Amino acid sequence: MTRDEIEKAIIHIFGNQFEIENPGMDDDLREVHEFDSIDAIELLREIEILLGTQLTREEKKAAMDIRTITHIVDYVTELDRKTERPKDRIMN
Amino acid sequence: MERRVVITGESAITPIGCTRAEIIRHLTEGISGVKKMKDDELLVEHIHCKVFGTVSDPPTFDFVRRDRKTMGPVAYYACQVAKEALEQSGLSDEFIRSGRLGVAFGSTHGSPTVQRDIYRTFFSDDNTKLHNVGAVDYLKSMVHTTAVNITKMFGIRGRVISSSTACTTSSQSIGFGYEAVKYGLQDAMLCGGADEYDTTTVAVFDNLLACSTDYNDTPHLTPRPFDKQRDGLVVGEGAGAVLLEDLETASQRGARILGEVIGFSCYNNGGDLILPNRDGITLAIEQGLENARIAPDDVDWISAHATATKMGDVTEAQSIAAVYGERPRITGLKSYMGHTMGSCGAIETIIALVQMAEGFIAPTLNLEEVDPRCAMLNHVTELVEAPIEIASIQNFAFGGVNTCLFVKRFSE
Repeated sequence: MTRDEIEKAIIHIFGNQFEIENPGMDDDLREVHEFDSIDAIELLREIEILLGTQLTREEKKAAMDIRTITHIVDYVTELDRKTERPKDRIMN
Repeated sequence: MERRVVITGESAITPIGCTRAEIIRHLTEGISGVKKMKDDELLVEHIHCKVFGTVSDPPTFDFVRRDRKTMGPVAYYACQVAKEALEQSGLSDEFIRSGRLGVAFGSTHGSPTVQRDIYRTFFSDDNTKLHNVGAVDYLKSMVHTTAVNITKMFGIRGRVISSSTACTTSSQSIGFGYEAVKYGLQDAMLCGGADEYDTTTVAVFDNLLACSTDYNDTPHLTPRPFDKQRDGLVVGEGAGAVLLEDLETASQRGARILGEVIGFSCYNNGGDLILPNRDGITLAIEQGLENARIAPDDVDWISAHATATKMGDVTEAQSIAAVYGERPRITGLKSYMGHTMGSCGAIETIIALVQMAEGFIAPTLNLEEVDPRCAMLNHVTELVEAPIEIASIQNFAFGGVNTCLFVKRFSE
């Protein structure tokens, strides 16, 4: 997935799953959108579905300090690069 | 320190309506809220009882996602009645968030609907689905989900009591909330109970041969408390909340007072966990009267637990007769809506308040021929216009838990 594709997917998840429409890329999600620890765990599940794989505990822990959409996109892009999935798995 | 405890807000979701007007209409026109059971694609075909006390027209739940995300169906019910009771009370946001208000709210077993989804995942052959058990599934399903979702929605910071004693859940909530205010532990308590549409509970009672089965094609004719042709209980769903407040606090802010809680008792049978126990029930009634500092003759109307089981109704009738004799009028409100389990005590308390305010007493529905073993009581068999000064609400639960609440028309 390109970074643009990941960004679009994350924005879609925020609108669809968390009812947060058009968030600023650098909004502090907790401060501006009341995005809490429960939402963070739910987001990780959505990312697993997006990537078509299960995240390790270490990968999940690494996500706990993320505060903005930009950081989320960075995080998912890095995961996607590391896992090097075949194209047909990524999009299922 | 002992303070007087008054009721300044109430709200209910019941099989006979979710507004005061609808509830009054059903009670005064003798309309049942028992319907044919819905297919849950799991248990219904294995259950002999095919009827359920159903909330046919639930309110619209206008909750934002921040609040919704940790709610199963039972918490939706709980938060809705809590919201309406708080609105009616007129308490300020500042007071609600001050720590002076607590919550006593429970359900029989959290949200069975969410629990089923979790277990479906656990027992799925596809292990990859295990990680789909969401972070919020426990928060939605846990046994104190009603109480804590209420605290979250309104920012309530006082104590949380979450009873889970089946049929006495919400009468304990009101009773423990009453004690918290009476003894100065909190200035106000939001109390009640809720239970969602759930066939698991039906299956349990069905296996114990305690459910009604003879009226599957005529749901409105069952349950039949104290009637000779009664054949068991009918499980129902619903929610009820009351806002209890210290009289002084309520008076100072000019709140409208709906009634006063004057006594509560909670005693256990200390033995069998299922069978009704005459000594245990009698003790609860006697101790409740003592707690309320009233005599048996002071009680005008009793909301009997009266689930319409063969033994339960007779045992309760014997206990009432032993303590009260024939004087107080008796109604079995479950005849209208079935047994709403964790919410029945709160709903029956609210109906007591409604009858006090409106000056009527509803009859026990389907009581056509009184069982001779229950005939020593003053059964209400038709709508009566009569004042109620003091009402008692009796509830008894699996586990041998017996409660009595006493509510009085408010006067300075």
